[in-house]
Amino acid sequence: MSFLCALVSAGSSARVATRIAAPRASAMLTYRLLSTTPRLSAQEAPKDYLGDSSSSPRSLGTRAATFTAADEPGKNYDPYKDGPSAIDKAVHLFFLTEILRGMWLVLEQVFRPPYTIMYPFEKGPLSPRFRGEHALRRYPSGEERCIACKLCEAICPAQAITIESEARLDGSRRTTRYDIDMTKCIYCGFCQEACPVDAIVETQNQEFSTETREELLYNKEKLLANGDRAEAEIAANLHADHVYR
Amino acid sequence: MPSLARYIRSVRRIGIKEWWHQMQYIGDAKSGKFVGKDQFGNRYFENLNPEEEVPGRHRWVDYAQHDFNATQVPAEWHAWLQHIRKEPPPEDRVMQNLSPPWKAPWVENLTGTRGVYRAYNTTKPKIEAWEPKVAPRGQ
Repeated sequence: MSFLCALVSAGSSARVATRIAAPRASAMLTYRLLSTTPRLSAQEAPKDYLGDSSSSPRSLGTRAATFTAADEPGKNYDPYKDGPSAIDKAVHLFFLTEILRGMWLVLEQVFRPPYTIMYPFEKGPLSPRFRGEHALRRYPSGEERCIACKLCEAICPAQAITIESEARLDGSRRTTRYDIDMTKCIYCGFCQEACPVDAIVETQNQEFSTETREELLYNKEKLLANGDRAEAEIAANLHADHVYR
Repeated sequence: MPSLARYIRSVRRIGIKEWWHQMQYIGDAKSGKFVGKDQFGNRYFENLNPEEEVPGRHRWVDYAQHDFNATQVPAEWHAWLQHIRKEPPPEDRVMQNLSPPWKAPWVENLTGTRGVYRAYNTTKPKIEAWEPKVAPRGQ
């Protein structure tokens, strides 16, 4: 029975080989908040083999040039001195305590509160740089930004973008066709980085799933409509990120 | 932090009617600060107390429609709900200043309905069929 107790107390503190009597093992019995407390098994790495890192750092500076073989650092260090004895290790080996410790971890999970984000009502955090559905933007005056330079078409690794352009009646060059095949797109964001006028952007909208494949073949009107309805969010995200670009 | 005490506390705060409504939709009794309401009637709530709501579940939406889906949230509130923006849109000066006057109304994802987007060609056809014109024969 005492062996079992030792097993259970050592169960949550992994790395029995390095430290058998972890001082935090009893904390397993206390009530823990999943989101704020660290896992007991996630402990700090064992100390350096060279002993005290403060007294004898690895870098010895210029003194190392005069060293002989007898001055090899850590030569007299016994790595098994503070660790468990061979019998202890043999017991843990033959009684398969690692398996029991693993099962104990699973048992711990049963009693933890669930961390489920109820998706359509609650959503996880998203970056302002998130790359979702594409949109074509307009200038604040309402003029469309895209000047048909075709840099996005050139850089697109999936070749999902097709552009055709013509001169407009007032002489400015605009696209007549701006098609993105969203089934080809890999959402790498190169198009929005290549764009010199911030016309093509990837919005934070990730909920554009469709029932048929044809609905994902976006044309210019659809992309402009995406930009028109989400312009406030797009502009706010670009504003939030402008200091890093 | 889900617990029985939190559940009972939430029910006492929001009342039986709202509790029944939440159990039909979110499936949990949540109480928090009412943050705002968008143009479709979706209501948005926030509870920043980590003892009551697990961080990450602290902002939520109560959809106005029975047949809810995630795209019914307009873009401004979407940014708040997904924790992109800190302030909700009625208080977010940046988002208000960056809203253009030509902003189009939000439409949800219409796939599977009659308003679905269908791809079409936006250019003039490259090849024009020959239109036979018969010149009138001279008399």
